[in-house]
Parts: sequence; C-alpha cells; structure tokens
Amino acid sequence: MKSAMAAAIVIACASAAPALAQDDPSIAIRPFVFGSVQSFTAIDTFDAVFGRAYDPFYGGGVQAVFDGKFFVELSASRFRQTGQRAFISGGQKFRLGIPLTATIVPFEVTGGYRFHFSPRVRPYVAAGVGSYRYKETSTFNDPSEDVDVRHAGFVVNGGAEFRAHRWVGIGADIEYSHIPGILGSGGVSLQAGEKDLGGVSARLKLIVGR
Amino acid sequence: MVRFRGRTAAAAAVVAAALVLTVKGQTPAPSLHIENIGLSAVEENTAIWSEARPGGRVDALKRAARETAARNSRVGASGRSYTPGRVIVRFHDEVPAAERRTVARLASDTADIAARPSYADFDIVRIDVNEDAEAVAAALAARPQVVYAQPAYHVHATMVPNDPNYATLQWNLPLVDLERAWDIQPAGASTVTVAVLDTGMAYRSLTITVNIPGFRNAGINYPALGPSVVPYAAAPQLVGVNGANASRIVAPFDIISNGVVPPLDFEGHGTHVSGTIGQLTNDNIGEAGVAFNVKLMPVKVLASFWDVIFGNAPFEGGSDDDVARGIRYAADNGAKVINMSLGSSGPPDCATNPNRDGCSPTIEAAVRYAVGKGAFVVVAGGNEFEDVDPDFGPNPTSILAEIASRINGAVSVAAVDPQKNRAFYSSTGSYIELAAPGGTSRGFGRGGFIFQQTFDFTFTDTFDPTVVPPSQYRAPRFDVLANIGIIGTSMATPHVSGIAAMLVQQGITDPAAIEDALEKSAVDIGTPGRDNSFGFGLVDARNALRGLGLSR
Repeated sequence: MKSAMAAAIVIACASAAPALAQDDPSIAIRPFVFGSVQSFTAIDTFDAVFGRAYDPFYGGGVQAVFDGKFFVELSASRFRQTGQRAFISGGQKFRLGIPLTATIVPFEVTGGYRFHFSPRVRPYVAAGVGSYRYKETSTFNDPSEDVDVRHAGFVVNGGAEFRAHRWVGIGADIEYSHIPGILGSGGVSLQAGEKDLGGVSARLKLIVGR
Repeated sequence: MVRFRGRTAAAAAVVAAALVLTVKGQTPAPSLHIENIGLSAVEENTAIWSEARPGGRVDALKRAARETAARNSRVGASGRSYTPGRVIVRFHDEVPAAERRTVARLASDTADIAARPSYADFDIVRIDVNEDAEAVAAALAARPQVVYAQPAYHVHATMVPNDPNYATLQWNLPLVDLERAWDIQPAGASTVTVAVLDTGMAYRSLTITVNIPGFRNAGINYPALGPSVVPYAAAPQLVGVNGANASRIVAPFDIISNGVVPPLDFEGHGTHVSGTIGQLTNDNIGEAGVAFNVKLMPVKVLASFWDVIFGNAPFEGGSDDDVARGIRYAADNGAKVINMSLGSSGPPDCATNPNRDGCSPTIEAAVRYAVGKGAFVVVAGGNEFEDVDPDFGPNPTSILAEIASRINGAVSVAAVDPQKNRAFYSSTGSYIELAAPGGTSRGFGRGGFIFQQTFDFTFTDTFDPTVVPPSQYRAPRFDVLANIGIIGTSMATPHVSGIAAMLVQQGITDPAAIEDALEKSAVDIGTPGRDNSFGFGLVDARNALRGLGLSR
C-alpha cells in the first residue's frame, strides 16, 4: 500500500501542469474510491485474533466541493477478515484454531477545507462523524453468540489531493477514527482493556471530477 | 453391571483422607512376584469384542480429517462456515459441459469444474481458495443455466457418545457442556499427557503370585492364605480390549517402591479417576471420559490395603515425600497436566507460616517446580466439610488444595451434585478455585454418583466385612471390572484435568494461562462472584475451549 501511494504521488507530480490550471466550479460533485490500511488502536485485541493489528479497508463515496475550498464527503467502506478465537493471559496471546470472521462497515460524513498552496497539490483537512457496523461470527457459534452492532464514532483526517488529470485526482491522507462502545465489554478486548474499534489509517483515493 | 459404593463419600475419601503426613519408614521389599502374562479382564455385562474402538486407524483418519477441515474453514457473510475453494452447483440437465465451464468462468476467473463425485446430482466448481465462495455461488445462482449454487457449508455432528451409560448415568459430563466441547475438539487431547498421581492404574494384565499373611481388620482376624495367585487385568476402557490402546500409557512409575513394582492399582480409585479423565469413548461400551484420547501417566503415590498386605507399602495412603516425588517425576517425564485426587487436612495459615506443624512446604515446592516445567496441577478441594478434625476443627483446610490456590498454574476443585449444588462433603474455604461434578449419595440414588470403569470391589475388597462375609474371605482378584459409581472431590478433580488437557491441545499451554482460562470461562454459581463453595464457578468445557472473540 505504501509503495502504491508513493507511485501515485510521483505520477501526480510528474503530470503536465498546464492542463491542470485551476478554474474551480462553484460546486463540484466528485465520486471516489479508496483503499486504506488501518492500524487499529486495539493492538492487542486484533493481534490476538488476526495475528496483526493492521488491515485493509476498501470503499468509496462522493464529495461535494464548494468553490474548490470547502467540501462535504460521504463515504462507506468495509473491512472483513478471518482470524481465530483467542485468549489473552498475562500478556500472552493464545490463538485457538477456531475461525472467527469480523466485519466492520463504516459510514462516515466529514466536512473539510482544501488549501490552495499549489495548482496541482491541494492539502486538506476534515472532520466528521461516522456510524460503524460491527459483525462478528465464529465457527461453533450459536446464533445468539454472533455479534451485530452499530455505534457512532468520529473521524479527523488530513492529506493532499494531487491532480493527475483535469478530471482525475489522487488523494492521500491520514485518518484517525475513534469508535467507542463496541469493544471493551467482552471478549479479548475486555481482557486487553481496549475499548476503541478505530485507529489510524493511511488512505489512497482515486477521485473523479474537478 | 452397574454398581456404586454404598459407603458414600467414605469410598472416595478412603484414599484422600488417608494421606499420611508423617515421614514413613523404610519400605519393605515387596513380596509379590509378577509375571507378564495375564488374561483379559472380565467386563461385566458388556460385549467388548465386536465394537470399533476409538484410536483405531480409521478413527484416527477421521479425526485428522475433521481437524484439517476445521483449520481450513472460512466463515461466510451468512455466518456459516464453509470449505474454501469450492462451490456446489446444480446445472440444468440440458446444459452441455462446455457451457457449464463457460458459465463457471463468468462467475470466477479461476473456476474449473471437477469430475462429478459419485452419488451427486450436482457439480463441484473449484475456485481459488482466497475467493469468496458465497459471492461466487451467488453469481452462479443468478445464471439461467443454474438451478442452485452454494458454498460447501460445514456440518458437524453434535457428539453424543454412544457409550450406553453415558445417556443413563453420566449426568456429570453434560453438566460441564462437554458435548459441545467435543464438537470443537473431536481429537480428545490426543497429544497431551496427563499424570494421575493416585493409587495406581489398571493399565496392564499380569499374573501375580504373592504370599498373603494373616491380618486383623475391623476387629476380625483373617487367616493367612499363603502363596496365592492373584489375577490382574488392565481396564479395557483405558487401554482397549487386549491392550489395543496400550500405547496411550506413558512412563508408568510406582513412587512408593521406587519403581521396583509397576504402579498397579489395588484399590480402584486411581483407575476410576483415570476413567473420568480419559476413558475410551464412543465405543458402545460403558461410560465416556472427558479427554478420551489423552495419554495417561500412572504415578502411584498412594498405597491401598492390599499394598500393605502384599508388602509393597508400610501403611495405606501416602506421604508428603512420595507425593512431592511423584509431582516432580510427572513434570520431568512430560506430563502437561497432573491430577491429584488426594488431600490432607491441616492448619489454615500455611501461606503465612509455611514451616509450622501441619504444613507441607515439600509439596508446595514440588508443585511450583512442576508448574515451572509447564505442567498444570489440579488438586482435590477436600471431602471434609462435615468433618471435625481434632486439631483443625470443623471443615478443616485441605492443605494441598490450599497450596494449589496460591500458585498460578495450579487449581483446587470443589464438588457439585447433579443440580449444581455444593456436594454435602465438599470442603469450603478461600482456597477453593473451581467446581466440577463430584456427585452425591443424598437425594439422587445411584444417579448422583460418578460412574467409570474400575474394579468390581466385591472381588477386591474381600478383607472388608461389609462387602464379603469374613467366612467367605478369599484372595482378591483384580480382573473383574465393572461400572462403579463413586463420589468425592477426587471425582470432581479429573473433570478439570481432562478439560485442561483439551485446553493444552487447543493451544493454551502455559499453566497460569490454563488456570486463567478455566476460571474466566467457569459458570458462576452460588454467591455471585468468587465464593468459598465453588470458587470462580462450575468449570465449563465448551466455554474454555472456545476462547474469546474480539468483542464477546
């Protein structure tokens, strides 16, 4: 993911400038897709179950940009990973060989501001709220033992958008999310004392539109 | 034949309470002569020769297959687990093979149709194992050429052993949710060794020639029988018919004789305890065991009446030095779990004053040694709730259980009856950590006992006038095995040992973590939270083996 992001930045910076002259419309509606790698705040929890505390999300959304500066963004994404049920004791993690699949579906609404430091590179910052659906199921579960909950959280992010083409932009940003209320009341997250389903993610966006 | 000991808790306590704290004298040279020949056991009311047994080649292959399937399973968005890499598809009959392949490729670039398996009206479409089989199935099902398509969802049996007494007498195993635990781990702890520190074990068949002297018991003089032949048979439900499963016996050792004689059980207690831990299961015979494929290490640290008569030991029961040596022997020889269905009363303050009279620092050091070597130690909580000890008062502290409670990686176990009430004899105190089925003789008839295969005591306890009239006194025989019900914390303890062995196989190998897992997964009964009757609660095999998810 890091190499892909670096490649995108290089491509964007190497693109011809004249074609990218800024004449921002008053309102631009811009769909996008993105991939991200999130480093979860609940390190021990995710490490116990999945053997690592970072994993990809994939998603997409739409931005409405006003005068090239202010924007509102709606996005949805999905994380799905299969690991193993586990047990933590005395700092040791034991994976028990019983498949567990967790799914996280964030739906986020953010608003932000784009800076005009360069015609080709637009740094931006944003903040917002999200609704996060979390599902967890395991082999040998009774249906009542499955988890399917939703909880609100908040996000902030910052990064830059690079104009690769008049109609194509590539955004790279860092996003921090905080999602309380799902972890921490049971399972290995309770053992680990971790209550936040969020984390820090590096996102790479492909944006269509001016 | 199903029998149970009408002598109530005393039967289980005979050995447990007889642990002698004084240093014993020199063990006399054993007088018995042992030949490695012996007849098969007589199993009363059982047909043993025509049944498939667990542990055979076919059974092992099935278990291996199930384990592999479990490792390779994937949980779909539907919540059901399936075998990755394949989709079951029923095409319309008129669709030709070439078109079927084309349709499959439209659903997945990696799709290929395997040769149709026998007894199937459907095809198996093979796809990359990393692909979402549910998504591919959905894509296929949407095609007009397809009747239906689905992933190869897993099904698994809810294992209910076919052992006849399981359904009728073994209330104790469902009480700790073992059926669902066996679903999780059908291998039954096959790679784990449990040491049974007890009166020995009926693990081999022998012919014993021994000079039986006269003795006095219960006020009765019993005459000398002189040189006598005592038949001895291995318990078929531990080592299989004709020893077919004898390879599960690991490093047997008689601590009392320092290995001069094999650790044979002349009382039946150790064999019964071993049965709860790992009696052969699902073989249509007798009862089930908890970790039914576990390896068993008989370590004899307690002498029985006949051991004394035979000259194997100076007194019944055992002593701290023997028990401590047994613990160290087990740890040094690869035991991952050590079952100690034994105990002794003592002062309540050994934690703060370990060198006072009545404390057992020797055993405490040995338990710490074993835990340090990676062995989990399980100790009976004591049967003395209704007893009044002349030195330590009513409901005296069980010294070994108290030691276990102070060591991470060792636990003490109380006993419950079929309704999850504290068994009337089960000692209480701050040292109780877990509870397990130990049975009761009050209120449930024979249905309150813990049944396993061991010696029919009407053939072994010929010295006991309540069992055999003195006029019919004869040499014992240890080749008649029956389904015997006994009660006591001695019976509760092996439930925990068996579950601990399954936990080791499941991946929790650190003794302190095993204790943590057992305590955190226990079902809280009695007063909410930890209490002095049940500790952290009734052990729950399924909860323990299943571990935890991220959020639940």
